[in-house]
This record gives sequence, structure tokens and C-alpha cells, in this order.
Amino acid sequence: MVEGGGGRGDGGDKARDEFLSEAQELVDGLGRDLLHLDEALKVGRLDAELINDIFRAVHTLKGLAGLFGATRMAGLSHELEDVLDDLRLGRVELSQAVLDLLFQAVALYGRILAAEGGAGPDPEAEVEQLLVALAQFSQRRVGGGAGVVSQYDLDPGLLGVLTEYEEHRLRTNIQQGQGLYRIRVRFSLATIDSALDELKAKARPHGEIITYLPTGSGADIDTIELEILMASRASVELLRSAITGPDVGIDEVRRRAGPSARPGTPTPVPQEQPPPAHESFAPPTRVGGDLGVLSRETGSVRTPPEPAARKPTPSVLPSLPPPPASRLASPPQMSLRSVSQTVRVDIRKLDRLMTVVGELAIVKTAIANLTERVRTRAADSRELAIELLRLHRTFDRHLSQMQSGILEVRMVPLGQAFDKLARVVRQISREHGKEVNLVVTGAETEIDKLIVEELSDPLMHMIRNAIDHGTESRDERLAVGKPPVGTIALNAFQKGNHVVIEVEDDGRGMDVELLLEAAVRRGLVSRDEAEELSPREILAIVFMPGFTTKEVATDLSGRGVGLDVVKTNIAKLGGIVDVTSERGIGTKMTITLPITLAIINVLLVEVGARLYAVPLANVEEAIGLDESQVRTVETREVLTVRGASLPLCRLSRLFGIPARVRDRQRAFVVIAQVGNRRLGFVVDELVGQQDIVIKPLGRSLKSVRGFAGATELGDQRVALVLDVASLIEEVLAPTETRLLAAAEGGRN
Amino acid sequence: MAALVRAREKRAVRRAGEAGRRVEYLAFLLAGETYAVPIAHVAEILRPLPITEVPRAAATVLGVVSVRGRLLTVVDLRRRFRLPEAPLERKSRILIADLGKGEQIGLAVDEVHQVWRLAAEEIEPANVLGGEQPAHIAGIGRPGGGEGTILILLDLRPILETP
Repeated sequence: MVEGGGGRGDGGDKARDEFLSEAQELVDGLGRDLLHLDEALKVGRLDAELINDIFRAVHTLKGLAGLFGATRMAGLSHELEDVLDDLRLGRVELSQAVLDLLFQAVALYGRILAAEGGAGPDPEAEVEQLLVALAQFSQRRVGGGAGVVSQYDLDPGLLGVLTEYEEHRLRTNIQQGQGLYRIRVRFSLATIDSALDELKAKARPHGEIITYLPTGSGADIDTIELEILMASRASVELLRSAITGPDVGIDEVRRRAGPSARPGTPTPVPQEQPPPAHESFAPPTRVGGDLGVLSRETGSVRTPPEPAARKPTPSVLPSLPPPPASRLASPPQMSLRSVSQTVRVDIRKLDRLMTVVGELAIVKTAIANLTERVRTRAADSRELAIELLRLHRTFDRHLSQMQSGILEVRMVPLGQAFDKLARVVRQISREHGKEVNLVVTGAETEIDKLIVEELSDPLMHMIRNAIDHGTESRDERLAVGKPPVGTIALNAFQKGNHVVIEVEDDGRGMDVELLLEAAVRRGLVSRDEAEELSPREILAIVFMPGFTTKEVATDLSGRGVGLDVVKTNIAKLGGIVDVTSERGIGTKMTITLPITLAIINVLLVEVGARLYAVPLANVEEAIGLDESQVRTVETREVLTVRGASLPLCRLSRLFGIPARVRDRQRAFVVIAQVGNRRLGFVVDELVGQQDIVIKPLGRSLKSVRGFAGATELGDQRVALVLDVASLIEEVLAPTETRLLAAAEGGRN
Repeated sequence: MAALVRAREKRAVRRAGEAGRRVEYLAFLLAGETYAVPIAHVAEILRPLPITEVPRAAATVLGVVSVRGRLLTVVDLRRRFRLPEAPLERKSRILIADLGKGEQIGLAVDEVHQVWRLAAEEIEPANVLGGEQPAHIAGIGRPGGGEGTILILLDLRPILETP
């Protein structure tokens, strides 16, 4: 009849989505690499490979952007490439200033991607600004150091085919006083890729491989001999013992006796009669260096000088296709091709699979019922019943395997969110001259992908808050005998079915008096209430909407997006956030989250003939309600359970559902706990436990509080799933803290 | 269901004639009046099914249903239009309204009638009813242009924005 709801969007959209997700992944990786570079710069140990990685990522981004017409991104990548190329080739020295630009670029990439995905404005002006700054940088080049190479007994033919990058690495290594070594090694053509990797791995701890080229001598049809030029501080003996193999020979490249070549001439003129290959480093043909793929970008033409004496080359490599370069040009780890074994999957696809599994679970229940009926009704079909039962068990086992399989796929390490935070910390601490170290533990803790996505922003707010309000200035810290550099610890760990994330600073801590005063001034708490609040309740004020202690909004926080938003966002994920603080020592915010949103175990309860699901993760226990034990403390019903007070919430009253009339039947109390707050939900009946797939309510119902979603129970019935965290919050709201205080007072 | 609607469509085509560019409207009954919505905005028509009420939702919301694994919010159009309430019955239907973007919403109606193909001259603007009309009234449809059936044409946008 009419078009269905699903199946919209054409192939173009899909490709575009993939572009966005791939680009996002690259940008994330870029951010991580930059952080490593930042660390490396701080300790003064630069890893050339890291800059190469960054260069490659930007290069790939440029290609992607070009493919999808993302001109803003392509333009930015192009300019970045120039700067990175200069860094790579040593034309520009790496400094914090350059890093700042690079970090800015990563942030802008994020915003460009958001704009491409229709989730934000196009940061046109900012990009233009950065482009100008980048262009200025490319002009500040450093020179020098060219002459040192000629002090070595290196074949000019070799020097002629070095890429600009290799030349730069060679110079740098020599300037650093490293020795040069020539490694001759024979590989079988069949296994050269892996064997070369193996050799590189052995060599890496001892130095840097600058280039490798085939010698063109002593090779038969199945083997190829390479000469590898390596820079190392180690002695030749040590290298010989470290880099071992059947066909490996290592020699030191000697320094020339006198300062032979004219200074300032990096590439000596090729000699008429070059020394024999085994004497010096003499390449017959360029077979591609480390940056074979990237060298196109440098624009240099790399036709090696080919003296007549070395003509035989092609004949010793008969098995290679005409330009031998094409086969060996890009050693596997240098390829732009993705090396990761992962498959990117849209989380919505997993959701769909999960839905199917959910439907299967319903079928499973139906089969179980059927089996039961066959077993009890027909005595003569016992065998059939047993068969069915066995089948049902097998089905059950496979289904749960599938469930946990899909769940596992949804899990990603929290590090995905933490990496972005490290960038934020760096940016904020640099902008505000507060030195802060971020110490991360438990980044490998896994959590549902959807949760990770939603976590970035709340965590960012918390960290901004910690730096802005928590961490003192350097002088203040020194004055109280603290280390001058502040520390923010980001800890994650799993605790049962939950993941706990702590953001802890070693700053000045919260001033309870000041907090209270600000809250009273803003009318969030009345004077009377204020006097009765416990320190913990006072700290919880920071999560109230509209709360801020700073009268002047700073760049970082206090701009309206406060901790109340953090709290709301965390609550949406079914989690809670708590705060503890000690003056002069620091503040710790703790987020407790469920591991996954997809499948949860619930307790089904009945209230006035309606079914509700309570996530078992929040249920401590369920007990029969003894009405005689219910006391009323200031309009709040409180039950005494094992000597402790438990505030009660009658769901029928809260939801406006007519209560059951069979009053002789005993009601039940489901004791729910989130964090360290407890509440007893009074229900008519306990129906049973069930694994359910929770589905979100539509946007049209987003203003309805108290429900995390709904689930289908089979037979087309839908049960709402209680959002226990938000209900506890609502019932024990901060404005009613006195009641909570009373209840807690009774318990303690 | 699809075949049924197609058959009705054919009948409607016969009635409406072939001339001019015409828009298809699905007509339905609500408290004795005939309303119609562009059929392009109706993704599906459901028979009554158990609806789970959502405590503390807006008064117009009947509740949620599960349609092939997806949750759908169902709005009672009688309540939305402040018409006298009536429970869902055998002839009642839930139209799944879909504007192409945003959330799909179920609209409970008393009875689904037929599809009309209306030409521009068969549609009168809403202001013929005089004065201020609610935003969801798009106009009045007079199939055939003469006496007889009157359709209250609805704009679903305001209804889906604030159910």
C-alpha cells in the first residue's frame, strides 16, 4: 500500500556514514598519537616513527576527504601535511607551539566531522585561522647539518637515491654521534616480507634502520641480498649478537680519515668508478625505502644514478616484474592499508541483531511452555516430551551464547573516551597555566559502545571542573607543600555488573560552608533546611540545576552547563554520580554505570494489574510488606527492615494507578539500591525474573520521568522498565533531604 | 491490508476521475466526523492491539505498543482534538503516521474509510470555517466539488510535534 517506515536512505548515505565513522576513527588515532608525541617531547626523546604515523593519518584523511568532497577537511589536511612533512624531514623543529597547532587541528577535525554529519555549524573561520598559522609555520625552517654525512665512507650512488627523509634521518643520527653499520643479509624471495620484518624487530631496540637496498650481487634466482644501513650506538659485536640469522653479516661503516668532501655539499658527485658493492654501500637500484608510499608527496624525482658498471641489475632479479620497485616498494607495516583486524559495525546493526535475539528468547519461552504442556497432559508421549525438552535446552544454550556474543561485540574499552579527555586536560592546563598530570588507570575496562559515546561529555565537564575549581595555581600548591604539578586521576574498574569511573583531583577540595552559602543565596536551599543537611548532602548540592559558586563565569565552567547536566546525562545511562571531598586534599567524583544497556535481567512486578520491570541490578531484595511496620516520618512512609529505616514509595500512588482492592492479600516491597541510596517500592505482586531487551521510549515521551524504556514480553504485551536511579532521585529529591536525613538517622 | 487499500484506492480513482494532479488522502472517522490525512504520511494501519499505558505521560497519550520489535507511542486523536472519549473497539484502527523524519507516532481513530484523490480545486482553505482554526486543520476537502462528503483535512506536523 504505502511505503514502509524503514529502509530509507540510499547507498550514498551509507557510504557517507562510513566515511564519517572512518574519519572519526582516524582523528581519534591522531589525537592519541599527538599525546604520545607531547609526552615524547617533554622527556626529549622523539620517535621519528610517531611523526610518520601522524603524517600517514593526515594523508589518509586528506584522501578520504577528497573522495567525499569534504573540502574544508581536505584543505586542512593538505596544510597539515606540509607542516608534518617539514617536521619529518627536520626542516622544522618540534615545539610546544607546533603541537598546539596540531592539537587544534584535531579539535577542528572533530568539529568539521560534526558539521559534515549535520550535527553542528561549519567551523569555517577557525579553520581559516589555523590554516594561516600553519602556513606561517612551514616557512620557519631550520637548515644545517648537511655536511656531516660526507665524513662517512658511503657510496655516493647510495646518497643519490636516499629520500629526503632518509637523508634527514641519516644526518640526525650522525649528528647524535651514532655509529653507522652496514648489514648484508640474504632473503628468500618467498619469505622476504616476514623475514625482513623479523630482522627489523631485532634491529629496532638497538638503533634505527635508515634504508635498505638490494646489492645485486651474489643472488640466485630465488634469493635476494639486501644491504641495510643502520644507525646505532651499540658496538659491532653487540649488533652481531643481537641481529642474528643464517645469512647476516654486519660491518661498521668507517669514517673517512680526513674531512674530505667540501662542506655544504650533501651529495657528492658520483665517481667514475664506484667501489665494489661489498666494500661500501652501493645500491644498484632503488627498491623502495621505508617511505616508498609517501615519497610521492615530497615531490622529489628519485631516479637513481645508474652508472654503466651496474647494468646487470635487472638480470639478477629475473623473477621480479619490470619495475622491481612495485613488488617490494611498500613493506607491509608501511602500507596505508589498514592493518587492524577489526570490522567497523554500525551500532544500530547490532541493535537490530539484538532485537532478533530478543524475539528468539520469546520463542524459546513459548517452546518451554509447550514442552511443559506436552509433558503433563499426554502420558503416552513422554518420549516426545523428553525430546522436546532436550531440544529446548540446546536452543537455550545456543541462544545465550549468541546473546553474550553480541554483547561482547558491543563492548569497547573506556580508553576510547579517555583518549579524548587527555587532550582536553592538556588544552585546559595550557590555556590556564595550571600544570596538571592526567593519570589514567583501567582504560581497558570494557563497557557498552553506546555508553562510551554518551560518557565523553559528562567526563569532560567533570575534568574541566576539577581543573578549574579543584586544582590550585602552582604558587598556591607550593605554599601548602603540595607538588607544583597537580594530578587528576581517572580510574575505571568493573564492579559486578557495573563499571565505576572515578575522577579525582588533588586540589583544594570543596568548602562545605561556601557551598551552602552559595546555595542559600541562590535560593536552592532554605536557611532552615541548610542547618539540617549532612556534609554529604551539602556536597550533593553541586549537582543541583542552577548551582555555581563562581560569580564570574570562567572560560572553563560556570557557563550554565553545570554538574546538573552531568548528573542528568549519567542518569540517562542508568547510572549515578556521587561526590566526596576533603578540604585541602581533593575531590573525588564517582560514576557508577551498568555495563550494558542491551540485555538486562529484570524482576517483573504487578501494580494494579499492570506489569513493570525492575532491573535486578538495582534490586537488593524483595520482601513481604508488613503494614504494621510502616511508620510515617513527615508525610514519608518509612519501613523498618532489620533495624534500619527504609523510605517507601507506593508505585500505585506515584503512577496514579488504582490500587488493588483485594486488601487481604499482602503487598510486597522491592528494595532497590543505587549507589548507597535505598528505596522500597511497594508493589502488589512479584511475577518473576526475566532477561529482557530494553528499548527506548520514543522522543514523544522523553519528558516522562521514571522509565528507562520498555520491553516486549511476548504475546504482544509491553512492560515499562523502571528507571530506578531517576525514581530514587525523584522520591528522595534534594529538596526533601531532611526526610532522607531522618531516614538515615534511623538507620545509622 | 495492502491489497484492501489498493482496492479502495481504485474505487476512489473511479469516483474522483482522472483529471489533474491529485493528492491521495486517507479518510477516517472520529466522533462522527470524517477526517483525512495525506496517505503519503501514513506508513501503516494497525488493528487494535494491547496498549501499555505510560503513567505520567501527556493526557493525549494512550500508551505504547510494540510493532515488530519497535516501540510506538500511540496518541488518541479524540483526546488530542478534545472530542468526547471512547474506548478502542473492533473497528478502531491505529494509523502509523510518518513524516519522513522524526519519530513515527500511532494515531488511534474510530474507523478507517477510504482513499480519496483530491484535485486542488476540491480543497478549500481552512479559513472558510472562519476565524482562528487550530494549526492541525489544513483545509476542507469536497470530493467532486459539490454537495455530499466533507473531509476535514489534517496537517500531521503539529500533532506529531506536540502529541
